[in-house]
Amino acid sequence: MTESSFILKHPLRVRVFHYLLAASFLTLAVTGIMLYFKLLAEPAMNTAMQVHVVAGVVLTMDALAFFFLAFDRVVLFTKRTFTFSGNDIKWFAVLGGYPQKILLHKKVDVPPMGKYNAGQKLFGICVLVGGTLLILSGWVLWALPHAVPHGAASMIGSIHLYASWVLILFLFVHLFLGIYMWDDFKAMFVDGRIPYEDAAEKAPLWVKNDLRRLG
Amino acid sequence: MSKNDPSHEFIENPFSLSRREFIAIGGVIIALLALPAIWIRSALINRNHHIQARTKGLYQDDATAKIRLSHENQAVMKLYKDFAGKPLSPVSEELLHTKYVNRMKALS
Amino acid sequence: MNQETKTYRKGEIPGIIAINARECKGCDACKRFCPTGAITGMFGTTHRVDVDRCISCGQCLINCPFGAPYETVDPVDEVAAKLADKHVTVVGIIAPAVRVAIGEPFGMPAGSLVTGKMYSAMKKAGFVILDNNFAADLTIMEEGTEFIQRARHALFGEKAEHGGGIGPLPQFTSCCPAWVRFVETNYPALIPNLSSAKSPQQMAGAVAKTYGAAQVFNVAPESVYTVGIMPCTAKKFEASRPEFQSAWHFTKEKGGSAPSAPYPDIDAVLTTRDLARLLKKMKINLAAENDAEGGTLFAEYTGAGTIFGNTGGVMEAALRTAWVVLTGTPLSKIEFTAVRGLKGVKSAAVTLRDRKYGKEVTVKVAVVHDIRANIRPIVEEVMAGRSPYHFIEVMNCPGGCINGGGQPVCDTGSSWIGRVLPSFAWS
Ligand code: SF4
Ligand code: SF4
Ligand code: SF4
Repeated sequence: MTESSFILKHPLRVRVFHYLLAASFLTLAVTGIMLYFKLLAEPAMNTAMQVHVVAGVVLTMDALAFFFLAFDRVVLFTKRTFTFSGNDIKWFAVLGGYPQKILLHKKVDVPPMGKYNAGQKLFGICVLVGGTLLILSGWVLWALPHAVPHGAASMIGSIHLYASWVLILFLFVHLFLGIYMWDDFKAMFVDGRIPYEDAAEKAPLWVKNDLRRLG
Repeated sequence: MSKNDPSHEFIENPFSLSRREFIAIGGVIIALLALPAIWIRSALINRNHHIQARTKGLYQDDATAKIRLSHENQAVMKLYKDFAGKPLSPVSEELLHTKYVNRMKALS
Repeated sequence: MNQETKTYRKGEIPGIIAINARECKGCDACKRFCPTGAITGMFGTTHRVDVDRCISCGQCLINCPFGAPYETVDPVDEVAAKLADKHVTVVGIIAPAVRVAIGEPFGMPAGSLVTGKMYSAMKKAGFVILDNNFAADLTIMEEGTEFIQRARHALFGEKAEHGGGIGPLPQFTSCCPAWVRFVETNYPALIPNLSSAKSPQQMAGAVAKTYGAAQVFNVAPESVYTVGIMPCTAKKFEASRPEFQSAWHFTKEKGGSAPSAPYPDIDAVLTTRDLARLLKKMKINLAAENDAEGGTLFAEYTGAGTIFGNTGGVMEAALRTAWVVLTGTPLSKIEFTAVRGLKGVKSAAVTLRDRKYGKEVTVKVAVVHDIRANIRPIVEEVMAGRSPYHFIEVMNCPGGCINGGGQPVCDTGSSWIGRVLPSFAWS
């Protein structure tokens, strides 16, 4: 391979989905935390709630659009995140080699991974399941809290709360590793491409099995 | 993507899934999404169950009562005979009737 | 509560319902149940109750998903102390709707009819039973007679027997204290239309401390302690109204012994939830009790009294008695099914022959519950003089008192009766 060879990792529709997802989710997380801890005075709290609602609508539209326009990607993503092998357990045993690399500047042997490594798979599952729960519960809490039985409404409230905590915690890790792996970050936010060597190192199985050469 | 596009030389195989796999996984996703919707729907349909059950309980109490007309209540009749006289009598007016107050003036 | 209040008189309890700021999520659900718009606070912020508008119905309390509203008045300990005092006759005045809900906190399914078990548990706790269904029958006698008087006055020009004024038609029922306060704070022009009959609870209190003390319990009136056991938070407010010291006034006028400070007709009000807490505190498991009889004159009641707890029940009971009194003939069918059910406004027309005047009359009645959703058109009609009805039953709570603000909170339920429509809260 020549030095300049690249792989298109994130096609445009995936990137657009991700832009909107990132923008709306960050907004939702910040306003959500403000609302939960009641950090502001009355009119500002109301504004925070309104922003929360608008961002929630944007997130929902984004998810729906992606679901219908790119159902193949949804299926592919679901399959990849829910497919586990022994390698994933081994990956977790060394935590992908990241702590060693970041903290001790040591390189350890990491089992070969597909497009998503075991940690990303776990994150992917949380995003799929948690995100769906958050969207559904959010809509019920906004539009139907009077009509659903209040026991159910209170349970839906708890689901919304716990799912958001899990996702916010994962978001920190995701942000950190995303920036740490600058090539991936650029791929997602700029042009979708990552260098071939980089991918071959981090996702050897993907590079081996799932790619097609152009031309 | 033109094949001469120099920006990248590899792309993902558009379908690394078989058709059958695609339908199976897609089906599971949609089924799982339908579950909460069905649950919420049934919760909404049954939301007044407790009201209906309590209503039924009282009508059942009525249906099985030996006496079902207020003016046949012997204790009430005894109260009128021994004490209050008859409905709207002076004693009734004093003890069983009341007056109301206009509270709106205070609001405006 | 020390805040300035405008729509309460001296002695009345303001703000029976308050919202716990820490629990409130600002979801706006409560606003959609409040009949008076008494809940303030923007969407997303902590909500508050404007006590001057609030009619203490408790619908916000039983419907908040997060359990934020609470009752500020808790007489459980006071009642327990009175029960322990052997010199006090504690009269438990049990509302109709309590017997189909008190089983729920003891693990029984919603709607279980447990009159016998309830009597047994309450007697064990030390109550003397006065079934409020008895007072409901008494209410029908008074309110029904009043209605017949108003109707004959309007139709045939009949004069009052004692020369007093006769109220206009339509006559509104007055057994729901939330509805009464709603009229007093929102439509005072309709006060003459309210039946002057007290609610069953207040009749029961007045009777227990006069006739009851003298001829049934054989004790001094001031040693009778009356406890309303109600599905209702507004009854706590009602009991505190200053005019409801009629037994004291009556006893004094009749030259009986009466302490210098007036005592109220009803000393304390326990909601169904409060009663469950009291029994549990006394380690009485209602569900395990055997059926018992009430055991006093005041425990005798009819089927007409017991349906007072349902929307339409007061009207049905009144129609049964009015029919027999007006026509002098027995009813071929006791049930008036047209006034049953959960429709927002139910109406019926009953054609009968008034034997006193020998004329056919058609009595038009309406039944309204869930006043948040249903009352405005009805009262606007009456105010404009266009109302086709002669007698209108109103209960604040959706479904009637069986779904009152003092009932056990049912997790699988909501008071939302109409169609399910989303409502997008914004400001
Ligand atoms: S329903 Fe409960 S939590 Fe929601 S705004 Fe009202 S009091 Fe607050
Ligand atoms: S008690 Fe009734 S009137 Fe008062 S705030 Fe609650 S719902 Fe409104
Ligand atoms: S309908 Fe019954 S429970 Fe509800 S406020 Fe009126 S009296 Fe109380």
